Amino acid sequence: MTIKRLLLIIPSVLVLFLLQSYFWVPTYEDQTKGNPQRLVQFITASIGDASLLNPILSADSASSQIESLVFEGLIDRDENLRFRGRLAKSWEIYEEAYFYVNDEAKIPGSGRIMPGEILSLLQARKSSAHNPANLQASLELIKEINILPPHKFKTIVSIGGREIKATVSAPPRIKLVLQRVDQDLFKNLKLILGKDYFSSFPGWKYVSTDLDIGRAHLKDLARKLLPATEHNPVIVFHLRPGVVFHDGHPFTAKDVKFTYEAIMDPKNLSPRISDYEPVKQVVITDPLTVKVIYKRLYSPALGTWSMGILPEHLLNKQALTKEAIRRGMDPETFSIRQSEFNRHPIGCGPFVFKEWKSDRYIILDRFEGYWEGPPNYKQYVFRIIPDLLTQEMEFYAGTVDSYSVQPHQVARLKNDPRFQSFSGLSFGYTYIGYNMRRDLFKDRRVRLALGMAINVDEIIRYVLYGQGERITGPFVKQTDYYNHGIKPVPYDPDGALRLLEEAGWKRNKQGWLEKDGKKFQFTLITNSGNDLRKAILAIAQDAWKRIGIDVRTDVLEWSVFIQERIDKHDFDAVILGWQMGIEPDLYQIWHSSQTHSYQLNFVGFKNKQADDLIIKIRQEYDHDKQVEYCHKLHQIIAREQPYTFLYVNKWTAVLDKRIVIKDVDKNGQVVYRKITPTKTGDYTFYFNKWIKLPRVPNFSPGG
Amino acid sequence: MLSFIGRSIVQKTVTLFFVSIVSFLIIHLAPGKPSQVNPLNPKFTPELVERFRKAFHLDEPLYDQYLYFYRDLFTGKIVSWKDNRPVLQKIWERFLNSLPLFIVGTLLTWTLSFPLGIRSAIYRGGVYDRTVTFFSYLLISIPGFFFAYVLIIFVVTRFHVPVIGMETFGLGDASWPPMVMDRVWHLLLPSVLGATGGIAVLSRYVRSQMLEVERQEYIRTAVAKGLHPDQVHYKHALRNALLPFVTMFGLILPGLIGGSVIIESIFSWPGMGRMAYEAILARDYPVILTVNFVSAVLVLAGTFISDILYMVADPRIRL
Repeated sequence: MTIKRLLLIIPSVLVLFLLQSYFWVPTYEDQTKGNPQRLVQFITASIGDASLLNPILSADSASSQIESLVFEGLIDRDENLRFRGRLAKSWEIYEEAYFYVNDEAKIPGSGRIMPGEILSLLQARKSSAHNPANLQASLELIKEINILPPHKFKTIVSIGGREIKATVSAPPRIKLVLQRVDQDLFKNLKLILGKDYFSSFPGWKYVSTDLDIGRAHLKDLARKLLPATEHNPVIVFHLRPGVVFHDGHPFTAKDVKFTYEAIMDPKNLSPRISDYEPVKQVVITDPLTVKVIYKRLYSPALGTWSMGILPEHLLNKQALTKEAIRRGMDPETFSIRQSEFNRHPIGCGPFVFKEWKSDRYIILDRFEGYWEGPPNYKQYVFRIIPDLLTQEMEFYAGTVDSYSVQPHQVARLKNDPRFQSFSGLSFGYTYIGYNMRRDLFKDRRVRLALGMAINVDEIIRYVLYGQGERITGPFVKQTDYYNHGIKPVPYDPDGALRLLEEAGWKRNKQGWLEKDGKKFQFTLITNSGNDLRKAILAIAQDAWKRIGIDVRTDVLEWSVFIQERIDKHDFDAVILGWQMGIEPDLYQIWHSSQTHSYQLNFVGFKNKQADDLIIKIRQEYDHDKQVEYCHKLHQIIAREQPYTFLYVNKWTAVLDKRIVIKDVDKNGQVVYRKITPTKTGDYTFYFNKWIKLPRVPNFSPGG
Repeated sequence: MLSFIGRSIVQKTVTLFFVSIVSFLIIHLAPGKPSQVNPLNPKFTPELVERFRKAFHLDEPLYDQYLYFYRDLFTGKIVSWKDNRPVLQKIWERFLNSLPLFIVGTLLTWTLSFPLGIRSAIYRGGVYDRTVTFFSYLLISIPGFFFAYVLIIFVVTRFHVPVIGMETFGLGDASWPPMVMDRVWHLLLPSVLGATGGIAVLSRYVRSQMLEVERQEYIRTAVAKGLHPDQVHYKHALRNALLPFVTMFGLILPGLIGGSVIIESIFSWPGMGRMAYEAILARDYPVILTVNFVSAVLVLAGTFISDILYMVADPRIRL
């Protein structure tokens, strides 16, 4: 019977054909051990693919990982998280400060004086020996004092939807050039000029409008157009000579200015626009010097220049127009966002982009002309493997060089003799936040007691498999900003009960806490899809129940959770986490002006002292002073307990043991060293010097 | 026949129109926002979010957004929000990746189910039938991801060969026969996994269809007149049992664009399913809606084809 035979033969042939392909496939052995190419290749795996390989456009971690290798910023951070020069050889920061001459104010001891006299007054006080210490400090920083003559200008502003022409005839202005940035300058100058000198400046007198807009609006407008005082911090970058892009085009100040302009161009929709909004002007003084002038004091500004620099010659107006025409698109609306550049990036980093296969891999080759010397690896491969178990299997097989260990595997893999392991703290923490608008959580003692009732150490031990550390405040734990003097809230349910009793909560007959006949009852919520948070939810509920608090819990889908509960402040308590940057700027999360709907201070933390410190930290350019303010702020937040700070995660990564650092010592001899992490736990810091050896090296105990 | 085709096309166009409206509404009214306008990223200022909303037309009424979307879709200008690449081009790339998986999976399903099912039906109640039934139910009830992990660990630890991805990573410049065979090998596991469920279900179908036909009187007649059993089973019975499967052929079509998220993720296969899944997570509306639209078209085309096949296969049926 032919049909019967066919029914048996066809599937057999198909299956046999599929199975025989096994004999053609190279084994892992062939790929890893027998292949010399493999030793000069570093392969890493990621769960997700990159989106746009353009540092000014992308906001995801996969893209930034590639960008950090292909592009280079003006500066970055060294082993101790201090800034170091990259494309910029060096930089200096100084300040230009301005204030308008207030001819109505009376100067203490002199009365009303002419602008010229202010100049001589300041100079005289500068050389005087009887100044208070803080004033003296400010005066000593002044390098130059100039008077800017009065000037007129016209501008169009919109007020309440109306276009208004304003004419400003500004009075003379005094310009001070300071050696360093000094946020207390005007505060101290008040000691000479009188305490109302700046605040009483009648700016509105110098502004006239074509339509009558009323006194209040006019004053507002004047404050914007003629601010009585102005701090203009300036950063001057001296660029490294001889640096070239991967296409051989030299890198100059034009590229820096272009990168800034590309970010600010509204057509490009750059998510980094808020970082550069405080920039007033970027000036090219010569091909290797760029001056960045800021509108106001904003100390996180320096850090933003670690952004990769784009090549101007490939993305300027002409280049984009040409590309648009070639691809048959409208040159008017064509922006960097549409450009092919984002899939074939060119920068001046240590690796050159070679190939990108969506959702499969991205391959980079080393850049032979890299200014610091080419990396040891010839190739960097970024594989996209969305499944963690598959990643792990590939790592064991040797086709991936590093693997991020999950908490439950740490105990097993950390001491595995086949691998070298590194671990450190991540830049984020998990917390329970209390809605301080609700009466229940207004009392500091109640919030503290709630924290004391939870055994965080046990959460770390059992939920995180020990892969976490306690945290007491909002700063990154491995930076100087974190105040290590603050002790975590102890686990003490009895103490918690005592605190609650002080606050008026007593246990009733059923054992529930009660105040004025009302039971202590609230709902704790978190988002779904995060098992750790769900576990903490149950633990907290149980811990609080034990001291007599009736807690309900709810787990919500992320977008509902954010839009309906967090944004609208419709919650009692919430379990969430924050990812942080190294910069200690806490404005968005902790300042009292950020407590409205859709803002990030959703717990409603308001504290005057904290507000002052947050602003001061933002405006302070001196590291030591910043650290001092941060420590104080940390103390206030730890005392107030708007959050119960729970823990910061620990990460662990394992690497093939054959990967070492290859370096050249003073005598020109090649030396191999073991990879050691920096103080902050970053083991990839010396990545450009890494190489894989054919067999596991034996290091003497000294290294 | 022609009038049927005409009527059918009109009906299906109307259905497609409603599908487009409903799917558009579901996706836009579902909670969640595109990641570009996610309000909980401190880097995104309200002005920037506003600008993104404008660029994506999210600030306009839904019916305008609907028109914008379908205008862009039909002029081929639709671009993904994630990486600004044309959606149709993205889908086409992924389609080509998913296609071999789909073809091999379907071949395995259809070629293996028939011999298994027919034999079960012929020797119903015997050891063979019971074994096949047992394994069918086992395969139906094992979760795909679990089975996949077991298979991967088994193959990798036993045979030390790579199984994930579309080809051995870093194979470099080998000559073409090993290249092709390498690709075939990488197809094997994911398509077997994709086919197991199908084989289990389809062979059950074949079995019950055969059983039903074998009870007919003309089969008894055939046996009574002394025909060879093979002749009876494979000629008289099988032909009549095949009829319902003809229609199932048309319904395979939508599978072309489906793709399995789980299998593709586990095997790092850059296919359609993964792209659609990631688009949903990022609320990349253009990609989600286009995939949705294309699969709606394929489903409708599939039912249309099966109607036609039915008519061709069985002249008694008039539509």
